[in-house]
Amino acid sequence: MKDLSITICGVKFPNPFMLSSSVVSNTAEMIARGFEGGFGGVSYKGIGGPHIEIINPAPRMHSYNYGSKKMVGIQNVEQTTDRPLKDNINDIKWLKKNYPKNVVMVNIMGFNKDEWRDLAIISEDAGADILELNFSCPHMSVEGSGMKVGQAFELVREFTEIDRNAVKIPIFAKLTSNVTDITEPAMYAKEGGANGITAINTVRGLIGVGIDDFVPYPNVFGKGAISGYSGPGIKPISLKCIVELAKKKELSLPLIGCGGIETWIDAVEFLLSGASLVQMTTSIIRYGHRIAEDLCEGLSYYMEDKGFKKVKDIVGKALPNIHETSEFDLSRQGAIQFDLDRCIGCGECYIACQDAGAQCIDWDSKKRRPIPDETKCYSCMICSFVCPIDNPPLITFKEIKGKKIYMPPSKM
Amino acid sequence: MKFKNDIKKSIFHFEEGYSLGQAINEADRCLLCYDAPCNKGCPAETDPGKFIKKLRLRNLKGAIRTIKENNILGGTCGIVCPTDKLCEEKCLATGIDRPINIGKLQRFLIEYGWQIGFNPITKKEDKNIKVAVVGSGPAGLTCAAELAKEGYNVTIFEGNEKPGGNLRYGIPPFKLTHDFLDREIEDILSLGVKIQCNSSITGKDSIENLLNKGFKAAFVSIGLTNPYRVNIPGVNLKNVITSSDFLRDVNNRNIKKVSDIIKKKNIAIIGGGSVAMDTVITCKILKGNRVYSIALESQEELPADRADIHKAIDYNVIIKPQSKIKEIIGKNGVVIGVRGIETEWIKPQDFSPSNIREIPGTEFSLKIDTVIFAIGSGPDPKIKDELPSVKFNKKGFIDISKKTYLTSVKGIFAGGDIVNGPNLVVNAVEDGKKAAKSIMKFLKEQIK
Repeated sequence: MKDLSITICGVKFPNPFMLSSSVVSNTAEMIARGFEGGFGGVSYKGIGGPHIEIINPAPRMHSYNYGSKKMVGIQNVEQTTDRPLKDNINDIKWLKKNYPKNVVMVNIMGFNKDEWRDLAIISEDAGADILELNFSCPHMSVEGSGMKVGQAFELVREFTEIDRNAVKIPIFAKLTSNVTDITEPAMYAKEGGANGITAINTVRGLIGVGIDDFVPYPNVFGKGAISGYSGPGIKPISLKCIVELAKKKELSLPLIGCGGIETWIDAVEFLLSGASLVQMTTSIIRYGHRIAEDLCEGLSYYMEDKGFKKVKDIVGKALPNIHETSEFDLSRQGAIQFDLDRCIGCGECYIACQDAGAQCIDWDSKKRRPIPDETKCYSCMICSFVCPIDNPPLITFKEIKGKKIYMPPSKM
Repeated sequence: MKFKNDIKKSIFHFEEGYSLGQAINEADRCLLCYDAPCNKGCPAETDPGKFIKKLRLRNLKGAIRTIKENNILGGTCGIVCPTDKLCEEKCLATGIDRPINIGKLQRFLIEYGWQIGFNPITKKEDKNIKVAVVGSGPAGLTCAAELAKEGYNVTIFEGNEKPGGNLRYGIPPFKLTHDFLDREIEDILSLGVKIQCNSSITGKDSIENLLNKGFKAAFVSIGLTNPYRVNIPGVNLKNVITSSDFLRDVNNRNIKKVSDIIKKKNIAIIGGGSVAMDTVITCKILKGNRVYSIALESQEELPADRADIHKAIDYNVIIKPQSKIKEIIGKNGVVIGVRGIETEWIKPQDFSPSNIREIPGTEFSLKIDTVIFAIGSGPDPKIKDELPSVKFNKKGFIDISKKTYLTSVKGIFAGGDIVNGPNLVVNAVEDGKKAAKSIMKFLKEQIK
């Protein structure tokens, strides 16, 4: 196994994989098992002030399925921790005592200035290595909390500043994607003294509505709510947010990626896009702590294959390749290539090309084979998405030097 | 390793079908082919490509409608069809790993429709034109349903106590329960089809006479009720029976009678088709000791559904392919063994008994208590009296115009096994559908 450690803001993580602040980090017992399973750190489930009693709705979550694939995502209406503050503090102390090599970040969410300060101090005293300020929960029922802070940028700065002045440990602001431009609140957090950014929290969403009772999921006794959507379905959004934050030169803070990470490949993509660490919940809900083994092993082999010595060396490697679309070289064109020896003749490519593509694939009904015409192909590639033959794909893209783009003639 | 549902303890234990979740999982593997080849594998044109696409897009009612409109016995076919030689043989998912289990999806959708109380089949206004159907096997039931949908007044005459023909009396209950069959027949009855059971149309002219009794046309689908035996020494010994009689006893729950010749006995079943496999498995469930399936075909040529063959092997049935029984040995009039020899085909692709060559030195003898012939059936010899004006071919089957299903007598149509010889349920369904179309065309011309 390669050395997977990475040091962020002076805190050394044994590996870049963390449990995020959520149901998977609710108690020391759970987190201890996560550490034993191989996770390098945790963001301890969001703690709030002692005077607001948190009662979670029932049921709390609902799975979003696609075809026979269950849990493409999860929608939850879970609140911050409902455990007494004392218990959480004792658990944090216990974790630091028993797992000194693992990093305990504590996620806090205050409902007023004093609370933000008090929670920060209590956490630091309990032994927290890092603070994570929750400016992003998309469904807190208490006004002036969670995502509503993340959307009111002045408050982001104000609360960050309060905590920056209250404690010495590094502070990360956990942001929501439910804004036009995530780099704006990130800059406010930086101004308030944040040392890093965690992005993103769950995305405000609605995974479905009961078509018999007209109640959205999860159905909380006849009521549904727009709330936090997580899992593989949001990965493109969270990855985008990391790229935006990483490319913001004025920000230049360490980033923790979060949202839809399940395999070591997902994790490497986040690292390549500028995150130094990654956090997970939905994938742990799906598979349990045992995913840590595969994350670590997968990353280690990847580093070996690619010749990376340190995890740090991977961070941001893809950023130079991420541009505005206006910078594309439009003089270079290409077309689909078929490896017809491996074709089984289902004709899915033909249907896709006819109904949604360039109509550049014809069909030999006797042989049951597609007849591609690369001069008409405009490289949408949808045929390759529906082709059932993969690894390696049967339909690929190839540059064709000097290719002119074919324009379908008008019917009139 | 034993799989769920695999080894049955009772011949009445009916294997469960897919649940909604299992069906969705299976449908997700479908490639949704353009110009789906599976459709071409179904003689009844049940259109699996379309109903699986509908299931995939959660249009379950639409999927049920597609099946039922195309094949009124869709549930039954889903269970009894040798799908590996029909729709699933053409399935292109085989090019990736294995074919889609189309039969099970089809059965699931029909059962799901029953479960939610959805019947997609509607009936047109009553035309007040009477049509008779003789025989309530798959061809007769289908023809009756197709006619009833269009508003014809159909009466089915059935000689047995209950409708279904071979579906009821020729298939063991663990494969197709009477409850399932009754439920599917209920769908046909809901179209207003009348079934008169215990009413054999026997006697001279009896079928042809129907046309004088107010019926404007008659469809003859009486099937084959005279099971074949090979004429070898010992064929008339005690405990030499046919699968047809055996399965009828099983279906009539004459278990005591059946057990006497099966339980702890060594049994030789002559034949390697679906009925032979049903018979060997039934024998095994009824605690038969050594159970053989002896067939002229090689293992891969066996006409039975592959799944049934594998099931038989799981039950420790001994399959003796390319073998022929030459003599049944008796003692005091009762079977005590068989003598046979291994064989090979003289010409390839000709599976007729006259095309075999015995291989010297491969003679074998088996200690056997019961012999069951499962080599198909022929027409009832009395049928020619009931249809004196109707022409029969050399093999003894009714001669029809392949296009119109019309016999040599105007107004009398025929289809199913009595025309084709032993064939699949789905072929009988195909005949019923096509004959109904032709009958309607005939009736429209008559009324003009």
